[in-house]
Order: sequence, then C-alpha cells, then structure tokens
Amino acid sequence: MEKAEIPFLSVSQLSELIKSRQVSPVEVVEGYLERIDRLNDRLYAYLTVCRDQAVEAARESERELARGEYRGPLHGVPVAAKDQLNTAGIRTTCGTPIFNDFVPDEDATVIAKLKSAGAILLGKLNMTEFGTTSLSHAFDTARNPWDLERFTGGSSSGSGGATAAFMCATSLGEDTGGSVRGPAAWCGLVGLRPTWGRVSRHGLRPGMWSMDTIGPLSRTVEDCALTLQAIAGHDPNDAYTWDVPVPDYRAALDGNLAGKRVGVVKELLYADVVEPEVRDAVSQSVQVLAELGAQVEEVSLPLARHANTISSVLRVEAPTNYRELIRERLQEIAHDNRISYLTWSLTPALAYYKALKLRALLRQEVLAALENADVLVMPTMGIAAPKIEPDPIIDSKESSNRNRAGLTTSFSLASSPALSICCGFTSENLPIGLQIGGKPFAEQTVLNVAYAYQQATDWHGRRPPI
Amino acid sequence: MKELTKDEVRGLGHAVGLEIQDPELTEVTYSLNALLEDLDHINPPGLDKVEPLPILLPPR
Repeated sequence: MEKAEIPFLSVSQLSELIKSRQVSPVEVVEGYLERIDRLNDRLYAYLTVCRDQAVEAARESERELARGEYRGPLHGVPVAAKDQLNTAGIRTTCGTPIFNDFVPDEDATVIAKLKSAGAILLGKLNMTEFGTTSLSHAFDTARNPWDLERFTGGSSSGSGGATAAFMCATSLGEDTGGSVRGPAAWCGLVGLRPTWGRVSRHGLRPGMWSMDTIGPLSRTVEDCALTLQAIAGHDPNDAYTWDVPVPDYRAALDGNLAGKRVGVVKELLYADVVEPEVRDAVSQSVQVLAELGAQVEEVSLPLARHANTISSVLRVEAPTNYRELIRERLQEIAHDNRISYLTWSLTPALAYYKALKLRALLRQEVLAALENADVLVMPTMGIAAPKIEPDPIIDSKESSNRNRAGLTTSFSLASSPALSICCGFTSENLPIGLQIGGKPFAEQTVLNVAYAYQQATDWHGRRPPI
Repeated sequence: MKELTKDEVRGLGHAVGLEIQDPELTEVTYSLNALLEDLDHINPPGLDKVEPLPILLPPR
C-alpha cells in the first residue's frame, strides 16, 4: 500500500494491516506525518507535532510486534489529543499563549491508557482558548476541512479538523457543554461524550469540574468504540470515576435495532435555532432508524430549551480555575473569554444555586424520558459550520449570547452519554450532526444505534475537499 | 428584574478582587444582565422542592 493512502484507512482497517504485518507502524506514522506537513499550515489543527517521539514510538511498536507482543487494536495506531490534556515532556497550552511554556511531568490518565493500548501520539491539537464556550482561538483559528473559511466548532477544534482531514486515525477531545459533539457535527465525524465518571479526568486542565468529560472523535462508530475502550475505566486519581466494569464496546456493535425505542426530543428538533436543512436531515435519519426496526416516538424535555442558560450560569465554576490569571493577566486573555470569565466571576451564588436546582430537574426529565426510550435523538447543532469571524464587541444584552445554535448541553447537565454522527450535508456541502443520547453508562447502546445508522448510510464515506 | 448598573457591576467586581474598567465593564454589564434575566424567566413546576443534585456520584 502507498504510504500516502494509509491515513485514509479506518482504525479497524489499519489495525488489521498492522497486526498481520502488512504495514509497519513506522510506515503508518510517516504517512500521517507527511499529511500533517502538507496540510497543517492551512488547517491549524495541530499546535504541537511530536515528530521524533512518534517515530521512536513507532519503531518500538514495530519491535514489539517482531517479538510477538501485540497490545490490541490500537497497536501502532497514530492518535492525537486536544492540548487540554497533559502529556509528559510535551508542552500543553490549553489553547493559550499564557501556558506556552508549560511542559507537564506526567501524562493524563487517558494519554497513558492510549499509550498502554499501543497507540502512538502524533501531537497536540488546537482548541479554543481555555476550552470555554466561545469560538475564540488564541493561536491560529482551526479551519474546517470541508470549507477552510469556516469554524470546525469548539472547543475541541483541532480534534475535529485533524480527524476529518485524516491527519490522525482517531483523536481525543474534551466535552463540557458540547465540545466534542459540536466539532464532530460540523466536521462530519463521530464524537462521543461519555457518561461523567466513565473516563478519568486526571491530567485534564479543567473547564468545569462538574461537567468536564474526555471523549473520542473518530471517523467511524467502530473507531470511536475502540478509542473509548482504551480510555474508559476507574482511576484512583479521579475520585469521580466509577469502579464498574467497562463493556466490550466493539463487541456490542451488532447493528440490531429491532424493538429499540427511539425518542425524538421535539423541543430541540423544532427549536427556532434549527435551520430547515438540519431539521430535514435529522428527520430523515430518524426515518432510517425506523426502517431499521426502531420504534420511534416524540418525547418532551421542556427544560431542554433552557439548557444553555442553565449551563452558562453554572460556568461560575470555570473562572475559579484561573483566579490569579484573571486578576493579574486579564489583558492577555482573548476578548471573548475575558468578558466571559469576568461575567462568570460575578454571577451571584443564589443564581448558581438556582441553576443547580434547574440542572437537577432537567436531569430528572432526561432520565424519565429514558425510562420509555433506549435513546433520545435530536440535532447536535442547529446550524452547519459558520464562517470564521472575529468575536464581536457586546453592545447589547441580545448580543451577549453567541452559543444559541448548540443543542448539546442537556446531556452534559444530565451527566449522561451522548454522541454526534454525520447524518447529511447542507446544500453548501457542510456536514450535519445527529445527536444520540442515552442512559448513564449506556455508551454501548448509544454506539450501537449510531453503528446501525452508519451501516445503513454512506455519509461517512465522503471526503472533505482538501 | 431590576438591571444592574455599571457602577453596581464595578462594585461586584471589587468585592471579589477584580477591578473592572471600561471597555470591559460595559460588555460585562450587558452580559451579566442578560444571563440573570434569562435565568429569572425559568421557573418550572417543582423548582422549590428539588434539591440541587448536580452530578452522578460513584457508589462508595
């Protein structure tokens, strides 16, 4: 196989070729590095490329294979991670020049787990500054491979861009309010937010402690399952991870939807922010699920329409991570985040308390709906990727809310898993995301519904024009 | 709901150790008022009775 063709393989395809020694991990890594060299100046997906470390890891990976030491399906597979995750000996910026020189001593647990599974880290991926709700980048703005003039989504912007442009086989992002699912939707990928507590956050630079999760962005559901498999599980370094068995996610992908109950969240499908092309694509994908044997009915989550407001008030948690920076180095923080951090710093405790109660009610709504449905579906984002524009000055109350298109926060607030999968394209050839949410710790159900859908459609076979 | 003035927002900032000046002060005032106004409008049944369980806690 030509080296230049290797990046277009799925993880599962690549894995078989590596295992059978038809391609070597060194060839694979070199194939990806060449693609990164060719594209990163246009996409700004990577902030740091770990060239030497990746090549050396590939050589070691090859030596292990020669000794008969096969680590599993990620052996020799090149991955990349959002620059919010600590990597030993490799700078970790969290998307801000303020941390330009920060080099952690220790890998985040998820990075250590990926390496232990045999994966090879190609580099660290771009992100919006501090991973906040805005699309502001402190470094060059990550560009969408489907249209270089458009955002990839945030905050895991480089994870979306790099994975969609075949600059890594699979990647990790971090999802607080939708930061994995948003880029997945706008870049045509599969992106999973696992249950809060399923994946360790140790070594993650925090956004909001009560909502941060780490999840995969991949091109296929099977690749997403393989990536999740490597990172899931209890970690004594994160007190909030659950010490419960991790299912075999790939084995759960049987694509059988017969009798599965699918609830369509009407408040989010028919929300004003959902553009007709998005609503049509999601409605058609629901029809596909029905044709595959699922029982579909509309469900109501009345509080879902307020999820972004509830989440915004809870962002009080975010500036607590950076008190000194906000006091001492405010002008070094990008405009949008500067205003957000100040606003969240001043949000009254009573407002926070009310938002916590609303969160509890919303979670009750989600869990009640999931009593009568195996999964809930809705659009991931109300619109396709917008054009890149500088963040505007806030000159009215109305202009202060710039995250209205995201429909992801209900599941973040419910601490439940949710996934975005490509379900079509707009007339401008921009991907559209279908969101599938499930019960806490039922990632395998969410993945299997997505798998059935992906097997029945061919959206994932399209390549961006780059 | 009565809106916060810029002076009040400046005072809130001072109380938490943040000296907020224009141009940020104007933007933060709009932003904070919008957020609190949006929250003020959300009053679903049961709000007074529910306890603020925010997350899923692992079994001990």
